Amino acid sequence: MIALLKKVLLVDLLRGLWVTFRNQHPKHLYTEQYPLERPKVAERFRGAPRLNTNPDNGETLCISCDLCAKACPENLIVVTSVRNEQTKRKDLTTFTYDTSRCMFCGLCEDACPVDALELTQDFELASYTREGLIWDRQMLEEGPKPTRYTR
Amino acid sequence: MSQTFLDSNELVLNMGPQHPSTHGVLRVILKLDGERVNGTECVIGYLHRGVEKIAENRTYQMFAPYVDRMDYVAAVSNGLGYVLAVERLISVEATPRAQAVRVILTELNRIASHLLWLGTHALDIGAITPLFYTLREREEVLKIFENYCGARLTTHAFRIGGLQYELYDGFEREVNAFCDWFIPKVDEYEELLTNNRIWRERLTGVGILNAADCKRYGVTGPVLRAAGVAWDLRKAQPYCGYQNYEFDIPTGSNADTFDRYVVRMEEMRQSVRIIRQAVGAIPAGPIMAKVSKVLKPPVGEAYVSIEAPKGELGYYIVSDGTLNPYRVRVRPPSLINLQALDQMVRGALVADVVAIIGTLDIVLGEIDR
Amino acid sequence: MAAEPWEDELTRALAQQFDNRIERFATYVGQNFLAADCAAVYDIVEALRDKWQFDYLVDLTAVDFPNRPKRFEVVYILYSYARNERIRLKCAVAEGERPRSVVALHATADWLEREVYDMFGIEFARHPDLRRLLLPEDWQGFPLRRDTNILAMDNQWVRENLGIESGQ
Repeated sequence: MIALLKKVLLVDLLRGLWVTFRNQHPKHLYTEQYPLERPKVAERFRGAPRLNTNPDNGETLCISCDLCAKACPENLIVVTSVRNEQTKRKDLTTFTYDTSRCMFCGLCEDACPVDALELTQDFELASYTREGLIWDRQMLEEGPKPTRYTR
Repeated sequence: MSQTFLDSNELVLNMGPQHPSTHGVLRVILKLDGERVNGTECVIGYLHRGVEKIAENRTYQMFAPYVDRMDYVAAVSNGLGYVLAVERLISVEATPRAQAVRVILTELNRIASHLLWLGTHALDIGAITPLFYTLREREEVLKIFENYCGARLTTHAFRIGGLQYELYDGFEREVNAFCDWFIPKVDEYEELLTNNRIWRERLTGVGILNAADCKRYGVTGPVLRAAGVAWDLRKAQPYCGYQNYEFDIPTGSNADTFDRYVVRMEEMRQSVRIIRQAVGAIPAGPIMAKVSKVLKPPVGEAYVSIEAPKGELGYYIVSDGTLNPYRVRVRPPSLINLQALDQMVRGALVADVVAIIGTLDIVLGEIDR
Repeated sequence: MAAEPWEDELTRALAQQFDNRIERFATYVGQNFLAADCAAVYDIVEALRDKWQFDYLVDLTAVDFPNRPKRFEVVYILYSYARNERIRLKCAVAEGERPRSVVALHATADWLEREVYDMFGIEFARHPDLRRLLLPEDWQGFPLRRDTNILAMDNQWVRENLGIESGQ
């Protein structure tokens, strides 16, 4: 009898609807209004690569050891350097990073012994051309410049 | 007079590969007699990327990110299976701290995987609401992943020998907060679904695969447990310190789609139970065991499997003593579970095919590799 | 570290039943395996299933060793729910040799054998429906053989379809 009444009065449906209405309150909103509101990504986020420079004199931190290129599973980093006769060290000439093939695994930044190469919190890497996704040294040092939107 | 195809009442219907309810690029050729399914044929391979071949051309460390891309909704489990297999080859065991963190992350990943399954499965059946709620809860898990290792989906969280990243401040607090917040949410899903008449009518008695058939087809995971076999690799052959945690293996008895739903819901609760125990007692110490950067496992081979959210996920790795694995074979649970589809849908209605594909919880990235 | 011999009740009974058709029993990193003659594999899998409760075929795969006289090694991974034990059965298969399909014993083997055929070109005798599983039906070659070079494949594709030299 009770089971029949429950069926006739649609108790299960009402219980389900009650859950729906409980979640209607605006404080339960979860949607991020990107791009008007930029999401806050984690500190360790593995996004756009960056080649760090010394903040004091603007010189690159990279010592052209080629370890990142060797660690990369996709083989997308190319580092070239010339030997400096005065300091007996290698000077970085070009650094190419193909973000179109990158899977952001973080193995290159793990391999870097001087924290020069780093995956940063920038995540807007889109480009209109394939060539635009291949980043040279300048691009890597400056980082991407996406359009900022505000409310 | 010989029978031609015109005399046959059989209708051949192509489902997929772009059908939203096949959860990816699965193509099922259905042979129909009216609304009844007489037979099926699965066409797979649309997402084949040759992961096993890629492995032959990478070093052991380099291959680790690729395994995340097989079962992309349970990337952490994939990574765990791979690092455990390599660790077995080089006879190294991860440090206790690393093991505890691995357990926490894989169980969180199990919850995330089951949540995505629940949302999409309910969506296939026609209940739209749960999807929004499950994705909201999954978001919290993904945030923990993002905070821990910097990626949400293809995490690459583990390294051979341990972990790359130390826990961040507030990890324990965040995970505990998630657990406290999550359990009432599971009750909420149950309120929406378990006693919902449409849900029950659509799932009860649909897609029965009994224990004997499960074993014959090699089906593992929640599908096997819903058939009443309390078999879970975490209990049967514990790895990564699972023997130290208390949890139950939920089982069903009717081996139908509804029981699989009940089993998975209970599994999420059990995962929370494991996480609570693990988070309360993360040992101090190093996170990385001593592993050479130039990894050359001795000649030999090993098969290591773990209980992934979808079933037994195994890695068979052959080493020839060089930097690159000689052969990496992945035993994907989804591929082998999908094989039982034909048996399950025979005699069912077309609409039930969607429910049965949903209940198998397949991920095409893993099937095709 | 080399593989050590493996001996227990199971190996003694199997050795007695199959005599010299099983070449060796061994253990490596705590995992037991046996190597057998390709022609005996069907019988061994059957005996393991019926007498020793190895009722779950976990995986069936192959490994290619081009330098060996019999270049392929087909691997059967079996598990017993009752004994909670996993063993591997390996057999060497020469190019063109057709091992007998175990689909009749384990339904799981259907797709797994198709995949092995797909990737290595090993044909299984008495398989009900031996076609390619993952690759397209008109695919040439067997990609998981060691002599398949993916870089060369890539170069060839670029040359044929784009008319340029691949920079890889």
